[in-house]
Amino acid sequence: MWNYEKRLQFPVKITKSCPKTAQLIMSQFGGPDGELAASMRYLSQRYTMPCREVAGLLTDIGTEELAHMEIVCAIIYQLTKNMSVEDAKTAGFDAYYIDHTSALWPQAAGGIPYTATEFQSKGDAITDLFEDLAAEQKARTTYDNILRIVKDPEIQEPIKFLRAREVVHFQRFGEALEKMKDKLNEKNFYYFNPEFDKQFLQQ
Amino acid sequence: MNRHELLNKINEVSFVVNDLTLFLDTHPTDEQALTLFDTNSKERKRLLEEYESSFEPLTIDCIKTDSMQNDHDFCQHSGQKHFTWVDGPTPWEGGHI
Repeated sequence: MWNYEKRLQFPVKITKSCPKTAQLIMSQFGGPDGELAASMRYLSQRYTMPCREVAGLLTDIGTEELAHMEIVCAIIYQLTKNMSVEDAKTAGFDAYYIDHTSALWPQAAGGIPYTATEFQSKGDAITDLFEDLAAEQKARTTYDNILRIVKDPEIQEPIKFLRAREVVHFQRFGEALEKMKDKLNEKNFYYFNPEFDKQFLQQ
Repeated sequence: MNRHELLNKINEVSFVVNDLTLFLDTHPTDEQALTLFDTNSKERKRLLEEYESSFEPLTIDCIKTDSMQNDHDFCQHSGQKHFTWVDGPTPWEGGHI
């Protein structure tokens, strides 16, 4: 179960409307390496994760990603809430405006709708943890790309925070992978699938 | 303390608790982290209660139905017994920062 806390994990206060920037940052809401996909990835994988501590970590990081999605959405919302139709047209935001006005809808920067095909829940602990490590790095790269293009400090501050969290999550998933390996045959970590062939797991 | 200052303090201490949670998930017996968790978690609870008594609740567990805050900007029922969960600005507005 989840409870809501009525605050952002990191404050967002943007004073200038900029639909073009909103369109780019939207990728971290509904794009391939966005926060929604991240949260759904970890919260889906945890059920069959055989190591109790790793399942707990997936729950906690998956939960934090929901808070990150809220930060990204707050940035997009504040960048578009006062835009005029003219702003939308000149910024190339008009196609999005036609379908969603200034509402939040998960899509990638290029307009591709959010899709679950962008993440995996494979049912193999090693496979899934490698996917999670890669996901954190992909999100970090995306935030780096955003920071290279967007220079407004009001937008940069929360993006820098989100970027730093990707690095911490990568570190924690690395530790989780080591914990998982401790329960496997050290001569061949891929000898069996620890989520399915449980009889081989070292207790 | 005004809204902005108190919320900033809550954000800071909550961040420490959050980051320590992930660290303790993979280092459950780290004594130093456990002590830090304890101190910061207590401080977070205290600040959340302080925020409730000055402004409005940030979590369901902070709600006191006999609270009668007088923050006219963000409260539709000032001075009247009411459900305070809906009081306050929405977090995504950035208005209280």
